[in-house]
Amino acid sequence: MGRSDEELVEACQSGEASAFDILVARWEDRIRGAAFRFLGSEEEARDVAQEAFLKAYRALSSFKREARFSSWLYQIATNLCRDRLRRRRTRATVSLEALEETGPVMVETRPGAHERLLERDLARAVRRAIDALPEEQREVVILKEYQELTFLEIAHALDVPVSTVKTRLYRGLDQLRLRLEREGVRGAAPLPVPAP
Amino acid sequence: MDCEKVGDVAFQGDKMDVLYGEADCAVRARVEQHLAGCAACREEMAALSAVRRNLAAWRLPVARPSFAARGIVVPRWLGAAALLLLGFGATLGATGYASLRRALATQEARADELERRQRETVRALEARIEQSTRPAPGAAALLASLDSRMEEKLRAAEKTQADRLDLRLADWEERTEAQRRVDMARVAASLSYLDGRHGQQLARTNELMGYVLEASRKR
Repeated sequence: MGRSDEELVEACQSGEASAFDILVARWEDRIRGAAFRFLGSEEEARDVAQEAFLKAYRALSSFKREARFSSWLYQIATNLCRDRLRRRRTRATVSLEALEETGPVMVETRPGAHERLLERDLARAVRRAIDALPEEQREVVILKEYQELTFLEIAHALDVPVSTVKTRLYRGLDQLRLRLEREGVRGAAPLPVPAP
Repeated sequence: MDCEKVGDVAFQGDKMDVLYGEADCAVRARVEQHLAGCAACREEMAALSAVRRNLAAWRLPVARPSFAARGIVVPRWLGAAALLLLGFGATLGATGYASLRRALATQEARADELERRQRETVRALEARIEQSTRPAPGAAALLASLDSRMEEKLRAAEKTQADRLDLRLADWEERTEAQRRVDMARVAASLSYLDGRHGQQLARTNELMGYVLEASRKR
Protein backbone atom coordinates (compact mmCIF):
# COMPACT_ATOMS: atom_id res chain seq x y z
CA MET A 1 0.00 0.00 0.00
CA GLY A 2 1.49 3.34 -1.05
CA ARG A 3 1.54 6.46 1.00
CA SER A 4 -1.64 8.51 1.31
CA ASP A 5 -1.94 11.93 -0.32
CA GLU A 6 -1.57 13.64 3.00
CA GLU A 7 1.58 11.66 3.82
CA LEU A 8 3.02 12.61 0.47
CA VAL A 9 2.19 16.25 1.09
CA GLU A 10 3.94 16.04 4.42
CA ALA A 11 6.97 14.49 2.72
CA CYS A 12 6.99 17.36 0.20
CA GLN A 13 6.77 19.88 3.01
CA SER A 14 9.83 18.34 4.62
CA GLY A 15 11.82 18.61 1.39
CA GLU A 16 11.17 15.37 -0.49
CA ALA A 17 10.37 16.93 -3.86
CA SER A 18 9.88 13.58 -5.61
CA ALA A 19 6.80 12.96 -3.44
CA PHE A 20 5.03 15.63 -5.46
CA ASP A 21 5.69 13.65 -8.66
CA ILE A 22 3.66 10.81 -7.16
CA LEU A 23 0.81 13.19 -6.36
CA VAL A 24 0.88 14.53 -9.92
CA ALA A 25 0.85 11.01 -11.37
CA ARG A 26 -2.01 10.06 -9.05
CA TRP A 27 -4.29 13.02 -9.71
CA GLU A 28 -3.39 14.47 -13.09
CA ASP A 29 -5.85 12.45 -15.17
CA ARG A 30 -8.77 13.12 -12.84
CA ILE A 31 -8.07 16.83 -12.61
CA ARG A 32 -7.70 17.03 -16.36
CA GLY A 33 -10.94 15.09 -16.81
CA ALA A 34 -12.82 17.47 -14.54
CA ALA A 35 -11.34 20.47 -16.31
CA PHE A 36 -12.31 19.03 -19.68
CA ARG A 37 -15.90 18.63 -18.57
CA PHE A 38 -15.95 22.17 -17.18
CA LEU A 39 -14.31 23.76 -20.22
CA GLY A 40 -15.01 21.38 -23.11
CA SER A 41 -11.47 21.72 -24.47
CA GLU A 42 -8.69 19.17 -24.10
CA GLU A 43 -6.03 21.81 -24.65
CA GLU A 44 -7.38 24.07 -21.95
CA ALA A 45 -7.96 21.11 -19.64
CA ARG A 46 -4.28 20.18 -19.92
CA ASP A 47 -3.27 23.76 -19.18
CA VAL A 48 -5.58 23.94 -16.19
CA ALA A 49 -4.28 20.66 -14.78
CA GLN A 50 -0.70 21.84 -15.12
CA GLU A 51 -1.49 25.23 -13.64
CA ALA A 52 -3.38 23.63 -10.75
CA PHE A 53 -0.39 21.46 -9.84
CA LEU A 54 1.96 24.42 -10.07
CA LYS A 55 -0.27 26.45 -7.79
CA ALA A 56 -0.59 23.57 -5.39
CA TYR A 57 3.18 23.10 -5.33
CA ARG A 58 3.77 26.77 -4.64
CA ALA A 59 1.18 26.85 -1.90
CA LEU A 60 2.11 23.49 -0.42
CA SER A 61 3.64 25.07 2.66
CA SER A 62 0.27 26.63 3.52
CA PHE A 63 -1.67 23.36 3.11
CA LYS A 64 -3.17 22.17 6.37
CA ARG A 65 -3.86 18.57 7.21
CA GLU A 66 -7.48 19.18 8.18
CA ALA A 67 -8.41 19.33 4.50
CA ARG A 68 -7.95 16.51 2.03
CA PHE A 69 -5.34 17.14 -0.62
CA SER A 70 -7.70 16.04 -3.42
CA SER A 71 -10.43 18.47 -2.31
CA TRP A 72 -7.88 21.25 -2.15
CA LEU A 73 -6.60 20.36 -5.62
CA TYR A 74 -10.14 20.27 -7.02
CA GLN A 75 -10.76 23.64 -5.43
CA ILE A 76 -7.74 25.12 -7.21
CA ALA A 77 -8.72 23.53 -10.52
CA THR A 78 -12.36 24.61 -10.20
CA ASN A 79 -11.31 28.18 -9.54
CA LEU A 80 -9.00 28.13 -12.55
CA CYS A 81 -11.84 26.80 -14.71
CA ARG A 82 -14.17 29.50 -13.39
CA ASP A 83 -11.61 32.15 -14.34
CA ARG A 84 -11.28 30.74 -17.81
CA LEU A 85 -15.04 30.53 -18.30
CA ARG A 86 -15.36 34.12 -17.13
CA ARG A 87 -12.71 35.25 -19.60
CA ARG A 88 -14.28 33.16 -22.32
CA ARG A 89 -17.63 34.86 -21.78
CA THR A 90 -15.98 38.15 -22.66
CA ARG A 91 -14.12 36.73 -25.65
CA ALA A 92 -16.64 34.17 -26.90
CA THR A 93 -14.20 31.59 -28.29
CA VAL A 94 -15.15 28.25 -29.82
CA SER A 95 -13.04 25.20 -29.03
CA LEU A 96 -11.84 22.79 -31.67
CA GLU A 97 -13.76 20.03 -29.98
CA ALA A 98 -16.92 22.05 -30.27
CA LEU A 99 -16.25 22.57 -33.98
CA GLU A 100 -15.60 18.87 -34.37
CA GLU A 101 -18.92 18.10 -32.76
CA THR A 102 -20.78 20.17 -35.30
CA GLY A 103 -18.74 18.83 -38.23
CA PRO A 104 -19.92 16.38 -40.87
CA VAL A 105 -21.17 13.03 -39.65
CA MET A 106 -19.73 9.83 -41.16
CA VAL A 107 -22.30 7.37 -42.43
CA GLU A 108 -21.62 4.01 -40.87
CA THR A 109 -22.93 0.77 -42.25
CA ARG A 110 -21.12 -1.73 -40.04
CA PRO A 111 -22.98 -3.93 -37.56
CA GLY A 112 -23.66 -2.12 -34.30
CA ALA A 113 -23.27 1.24 -36.04
CA HIS A 114 -26.83 2.26 -35.23
CA GLU A 115 -26.30 1.72 -31.52
CA ARG A 116 -23.06 3.70 -31.63
CA LEU A 117 -24.78 6.57 -33.40
CA LEU A 118 -27.54 6.56 -30.80
CA GLU A 119 -24.97 6.56 -28.04
CA ARG A 120 -23.10 9.46 -29.65
CA ASP A 121 -26.32 11.43 -30.00
CA LEU A 122 -27.11 10.76 -26.36
CA ALA A 123 -23.61 11.87 -25.33
CA ARG A 124 -24.06 15.10 -27.26
CA ALA A 125 -27.48 15.69 -25.76
CA VAL A 126 -26.07 15.09 -22.27
CA ARG A 127 -23.17 17.44 -22.91
CA ARG A 128 -25.47 20.15 -24.22
CA ALA A 129 -27.79 19.72 -21.24
CA ILE A 130 -24.91 19.94 -18.76
CA ASP A 131 -23.43 22.94 -20.55
CA ALA A 132 -26.79 24.69 -20.26
CA LEU A 133 -26.94 24.27 -16.46
CA PRO A 134 -26.18 27.25 -14.21
CA GLU A 135 -22.48 27.19 -13.28
CA GLU A 136 -23.00 26.26 -9.64
CA GLN A 137 -25.21 23.27 -10.53
CA ARG A 138 -22.90 22.19 -13.35
CA GLU A 139 -19.89 22.13 -11.04
CA VAL A 140 -21.66 19.93 -8.53
CA VAL A 141 -23.03 17.56 -11.17
CA ILE A 142 -19.59 17.13 -12.75
CA LEU A 143 -17.74 16.67 -9.49
CA LYS A 144 -20.31 14.17 -8.19
CA GLU A 145 -21.28 12.30 -11.30
CA TYR A 146 -17.98 12.13 -13.17
CA GLN A 147 -15.32 12.71 -10.53
CA GLU A 148 -17.21 10.65 -7.94
CA LEU A 149 -16.30 12.90 -5.03
CA THR A 150 -18.27 12.57 -1.82
CA PHE A 151 -20.64 15.35 -0.80
CA LEU A 152 -18.15 16.40 1.87
CA GLU A 153 -15.27 16.56 -0.61
CA ILE A 154 -17.36 18.65 -3.00
CA ALA A 155 -18.31 20.95 -0.15
CA HIS A 156 -14.60 21.45 0.64
CA ALA A 157 -13.69 21.90 -3.00
CA LEU A 158 -16.37 24.52 -3.59
CA ASP A 159 -16.21 26.00 -0.11
CA VAL A 160 -19.97 25.66 0.51
CA PRO A 161 -21.99 23.68 3.08
CA VAL A 162 -22.80 20.03 2.35
CA SER A 163 -26.54 20.83 2.35
CA THR A 164 -25.93 23.37 -0.43
CA VAL A 165 -24.09 20.77 -2.46
CA LYS A 166 -27.03 18.37 -2.17
CA THR A 167 -29.57 21.03 -3.07
CA ARG A 168 -27.58 22.10 -6.10
CA LEU A 169 -27.20 18.51 -7.21
CA TYR A 170 -30.89 17.79 -6.80
CA ARG A 171 -31.81 20.87 -8.82
CA GLY A 172 -29.16 20.11 -11.41
CA LEU A 173 -30.43 16.56 -11.91
CA ASP A 174 -33.99 17.80 -12.15
CA GLN A 175 -32.98 20.36 -14.78
CA LEU A 176 -31.11 17.70 -16.70
CA ARG A 177 -34.15 15.44 -16.60
CA LEU A 178 -36.32 18.19 -18.11
CA ARG A 179 -33.76 19.15 -20.76
CA LEU A 180 -33.10 15.57 -21.82
CA GLU A 181 -36.82 14.92 -22.08
CA ARG A 182 -37.15 18.01 -24.28
CA GLU A 183 -34.38 16.62 -26.49
CA GLY A 184 -36.35 13.40 -26.85
CA VAL A 185 -34.03 11.28 -24.72
CA ARG A 186 -35.99 8.44 -23.23
CA GLY A 187 -35.31 7.49 -19.66
CA ALA A 188 -32.84 4.69 -19.32
CA ALA A 189 -33.36 1.82 -16.95
CA PRO A 190 -33.10 3.12 -13.40
CA LEU A 191 -29.88 2.60 -11.55
CA PRO A 192 -30.07 0.22 -8.64
CA VAL A 193 -30.04 2.22 -5.45
CA PRO A 194 -26.65 1.56 -3.87
CA ALA A 195 -26.43 -0.11 -0.51
CA PRO A 196 -25.15 2.06 2.34
CA MET B 1 -45.78 15.39 -8.55
CA ASP B 2 -48.23 15.94 -5.76
CA CYS B 3 -46.17 15.13 -2.68
CA GLU B 4 -45.24 17.93 -0.31
CA LYS B 5 -41.91 16.16 0.35
CA VAL B 6 -40.83 16.88 -3.26
CA GLY B 7 -40.25 20.51 -2.36
CA ASP B 8 -38.72 19.75 1.05
CA VAL B 9 -35.08 20.80 0.84
CA ALA B 10 -33.94 18.56 3.71
CA PHE B 11 -35.69 15.58 2.19
CA GLN B 12 -34.15 16.39 -1.19
CA GLY B 13 -30.77 16.07 0.53
CA ASP B 14 -31.77 12.73 1.98
CA LYS B 15 -32.83 11.52 -1.45
CA MET B 16 -29.47 12.57 -2.86
CA ASP B 17 -27.75 10.62 -0.08
CA VAL B 18 -29.73 7.52 -1.00
CA LEU B 19 -29.30 8.01 -4.75
CA TYR B 20 -25.50 8.21 -4.42
CA GLY B 21 -25.09 5.61 -1.67
CA GLU B 22 -24.01 8.04 1.02
CA ALA B 23 -27.01 7.65 3.30
CA ASP B 24 -26.59 6.19 6.76
CA CYS B 25 -29.05 3.59 7.98
CA ALA B 26 -31.45 6.11 9.55
CA VAL B 27 -31.69 8.30 6.44
CA ARG B 28 -32.04 5.30 4.18
CA ALA B 29 -34.82 3.84 6.32
CA ARG B 30 -36.61 7.19 6.41
CA VAL B 31 -36.49 7.62 2.64
CA GLU B 32 -37.46 4.03 1.89
CA GLN B 33 -40.37 4.27 4.28
CA HIS B 34 -41.62 7.37 2.51
CA LEU B 35 -41.08 5.93 -0.96
CA ALA B 36 -43.04 2.83 -0.02
CA GLY B 37 -46.15 4.93 0.46
CA CYS B 38 -45.58 7.73 -2.10
CA ALA B 39 -45.88 7.05 -5.82
CA ALA B 40 -44.83 10.61 -6.73
CA CYS B 41 -41.49 10.36 -4.92
CA ARG B 42 -40.91 6.84 -6.25
CA GLU B 43 -41.47 8.16 -9.74
CA GLU B 44 -39.13 11.07 -9.10
CA MET B 45 -36.36 8.84 -7.75
CA ALA B 46 -36.71 6.56 -10.78
CA ALA B 47 -36.49 9.56 -13.12
CA LEU B 48 -33.40 10.93 -11.37
CA SER B 49 -31.83 7.51 -11.45
CA ALA B 50 -32.52 7.32 -15.20
CA VAL B 51 -30.90 10.73 -15.66
CA ARG B 52 -27.80 9.39 -13.92
CA ARG B 53 -27.73 6.42 -16.29
CA ASN B 54 -27.95 8.78 -19.28
CA LEU B 55 -25.18 10.98 -17.92
CA ALA B 56 -22.81 8.05 -18.17
CA ALA B 57 -23.01 8.33 -21.97
CA TRP B 58 -20.79 11.42 -21.97
CA ARG B 59 -17.33 9.93 -21.78
CA LEU B 60 -14.01 11.65 -21.95
CA PRO B 61 -12.45 11.72 -25.41
CA VAL B 62 -10.04 8.88 -26.07
CA ALA B 63 -7.72 8.20 -29.03
CA ARG B 64 -8.55 9.41 -32.54
CA PRO B 65 -11.16 7.34 -34.44
CA SER B 66 -9.81 4.27 -36.19
CA PHE B 67 -9.68 3.87 -39.98
CA ALA B 68 -12.69 1.60 -39.85
CA ALA B 69 -14.72 4.21 -38.01
CA ARG B 70 -13.85 6.65 -40.79
CA GLY B 71 -15.24 4.20 -43.38
CA ILE B 72 -11.86 3.20 -44.91
CA VAL B 73 -11.64 -0.51 -45.83
CA VAL B 74 -8.26 -2.15 -45.28
CA PRO B 75 -7.22 -5.86 -45.32
CA ARG B 76 -7.63 -7.37 -41.87
CA TRP B 77 -4.01 -8.52 -41.54
CA LEU B 78 -2.75 -5.10 -42.61
CA GLY B 79 -5.16 -3.39 -40.28
CA ALA B 80 -4.12 -5.62 -37.39
CA ALA B 81 -0.43 -5.08 -38.06
CA ALA B 82 -0.90 -1.34 -38.39
CA LEU B 83 -2.98 -1.24 -35.23
CA LEU B 84 -0.33 -3.21 -33.36
CA LEU B 85 2.40 -0.86 -34.57
CA LEU B 86 0.29 2.20 -33.92
CA GLY B 87 -0.70 0.93 -30.50
CA PHE B 88 2.93 0.20 -29.62
CA GLY B 89 4.04 3.59 -30.92
CA ALA B 90 1.15 5.40 -29.29
CA THR B 91 1.81 3.70 -25.97
CA LEU B 92 5.47 4.60 -26.15
CA GLY B 93 4.64 8.13 -27.29
CA ALA B 94 1.91 8.64 -24.75
CA THR B 95 4.01 7.28 -21.91
CA GLY B 96 6.99 9.33 -22.96
CA TYR B 97 4.89 12.41 -23.50
CA ALA B 98 3.09 12.04 -20.18
CA SER B 99 6.31 11.49 -18.25
CA LEU B 100 7.97 14.33 -20.16
CA ARG B 101 5.11 16.64 -19.31
CA ARG B 102 5.17 15.58 -15.68
CA ALA B 103 8.90 16.08 -15.60
CA LEU B 104 8.50 19.50 -17.20
CA ALA B 105 5.80 20.48 -14.75
CA THR B 106 7.94 19.34 -11.86
CA GLN B 107 11.01 21.11 -13.19
CA GLU B 108 9.04 24.28 -13.72
CA ALA B 109 7.64 24.04 -10.22
CA ARG B 110 11.12 23.51 -8.81
CA ALA B 111 12.52 26.40 -10.84
CA ASP B 112 9.75 28.63 -9.57
CA GLU B 113 10.39 27.51 -6.05
CA LEU B 114 14.12 28.17 -6.45
CA GLU B 115 13.41 31.58 -7.91
CA ARG B 116 11.06 32.37 -5.05
CA ARG B 117 13.69 31.35 -2.50
CA GLN B 118 16.32 33.45 -4.26
CA ARG B 119 14.02 36.42 -4.26
CA GLU B 120 13.43 35.94 -0.58
CA THR B 121 17.16 35.74 0.06
CA VAL B 122 17.76 38.90 -1.95
CA ARG B 123 15.00 40.68 -0.07
CA ALA B 124 16.45 39.56 3.27
CA LEU B 125 19.93 40.74 2.24
CA GLU B 126 18.56 44.07 1.06
CA ALA B 127 16.77 44.50 4.37
CA ARG B 128 19.98 43.71 6.28
CA ILE B 129 22.02 46.13 4.18
CA GLU B 130 19.44 48.83 4.66
CA GLN B 131 19.42 48.17 8.41
CA SER B 132 23.23 48.22 8.67
CA THR B 133 23.54 51.44 6.65
CA ARG B 134 20.76 53.20 8.51
CA PRO B 135 22.31 55.88 10.90
CA ALA B 136 21.92 55.50 14.65
CA PRO B 137 19.46 57.91 16.35
CA GLY B 138 22.23 60.14 17.89
CA ALA B 139 24.33 60.12 14.79
CA ALA B 140 22.21 62.67 12.92
CA ALA B 141 23.42 65.62 15.03
CA LEU B 142 27.01 64.42 14.85
CA LEU B 143 26.71 64.10 11.10
CA ALA B 144 25.25 67.62 10.87
CA SER B 145 28.12 69.15 12.94
CA LEU B 146 30.66 67.22 10.88
CA ASP B 147 29.01 68.55 7.74
CA SER B 148 29.22 72.16 8.93
CA ARG B 149 32.86 71.76 10.03
CA MET B 150 33.76 70.24 6.73
CA GLU B 151 32.03 73.12 4.98
CA GLU B 152 34.01 75.67 7.03
CA LYS B 153 37.30 73.90 6.26
CA LEU B 154 36.41 73.84 2.62
CA ARG B 155 35.59 77.56 2.59
CA ALA B 156 38.89 78.42 4.38
CA ALA B 157 40.84 76.31 1.90
CA GLU B 158 39.07 77.97 -1.00
CA LYS B 159 39.88 81.46 0.41
CA THR B 160 43.57 80.62 0.86
CA GLN B 161 43.73 79.30 -2.66
CA ALA B 162 42.07 82.45 -4.00
CA ASP B 163 44.49 84.72 -2.10
CA ARG B 164 47.48 82.78 -3.36
CA LEU B 165 46.16 82.98 -6.86
CA ASP B 166 45.70 86.78 -6.59
CA LEU B 167 49.27 87.22 -5.32
CA ARG B 168 50.65 85.08 -8.08
CA LEU B 169 48.66 87.02 -10.69
CA ALA B 170 49.94 90.37 -9.36
CA ASP B 171 53.51 89.06 -9.46
CA TRP B 172 53.02 87.89 -13.02
CA GLU B 173 51.59 91.24 -14.05
CA GLU B 174 54.59 93.07 -12.50
CA ARG B 175 57.06 90.81 -14.22
CA THR B 176 55.28 91.11 -17.52
CA GLU B 177 55.31 94.93 -17.27
CA ALA B 178 59.02 94.99 -16.51
CA GLN B 179 59.72 92.67 -19.41
CA ARG B 180 57.61 94.86 -21.65
CA ARG B 181 59.59 97.93 -20.66
CA VAL B 182 62.91 96.21 -21.30
CA ASP B 183 61.69 95.06 -24.69
CA MET B 184 60.48 98.55 -25.62
CA ALA B 185 63.89 100.04 -24.61
CA ARG B 186 65.68 97.50 -26.78
CA VAL B 187 63.40 98.26 -29.72
CA ALA B 188 64.00 102.01 -29.28
CA ALA B 189 67.78 101.50 -29.13
CA SER B 190 67.69 99.38 -32.24
CA LEU B 191 65.64 101.98 -34.09
CA SER B 192 67.96 104.79 -33.14
CA TYR B 193 70.91 102.70 -34.25
CA LEU B 194 69.23 102.02 -37.55
CA ASP B 195 68.40 105.72 -37.90
CA GLY B 196 72.10 106.59 -37.29
CA ARG B 197 73.30 104.11 -39.91
CA HIS B 198 70.81 105.42 -42.37
CA GLY B 199 71.93 109.07 -41.80
CA GLN B 200 75.57 108.22 -42.37
CA GLN B 201 74.82 106.41 -45.60
CA LEU B 202 72.70 109.32 -46.77
CA ALA B 203 75.55 111.76 -46.07
CA ARG B 204 78.01 109.50 -47.89
CA THR B 205 75.62 109.26 -50.86
CA ASN B 206 75.24 113.06 -50.95
CA GLU B 207 78.98 113.42 -50.80
CA LEU B 208 79.49 111.02 -53.68
CA MET B 209 76.72 112.71 -55.66
CA GLY B 210 78.52 116.03 -55.10
CA TYR B 211 81.69 114.56 -56.51
CA VAL B 212 79.82 113.22 -59.52
CA LEU B 213 78.15 116.60 -60.18
CA GLU B 214 81.46 118.48 -59.83
CA ALA B 215 83.24 116.08 -62.26
CA SER B 216 80.48 116.44 -64.86
CA ARG B 217 80.56 120.18 -64.56
CA LYS B 218 84.32 120.15 -65.17
CA ARG B 219 83.89 118.16 -68.32
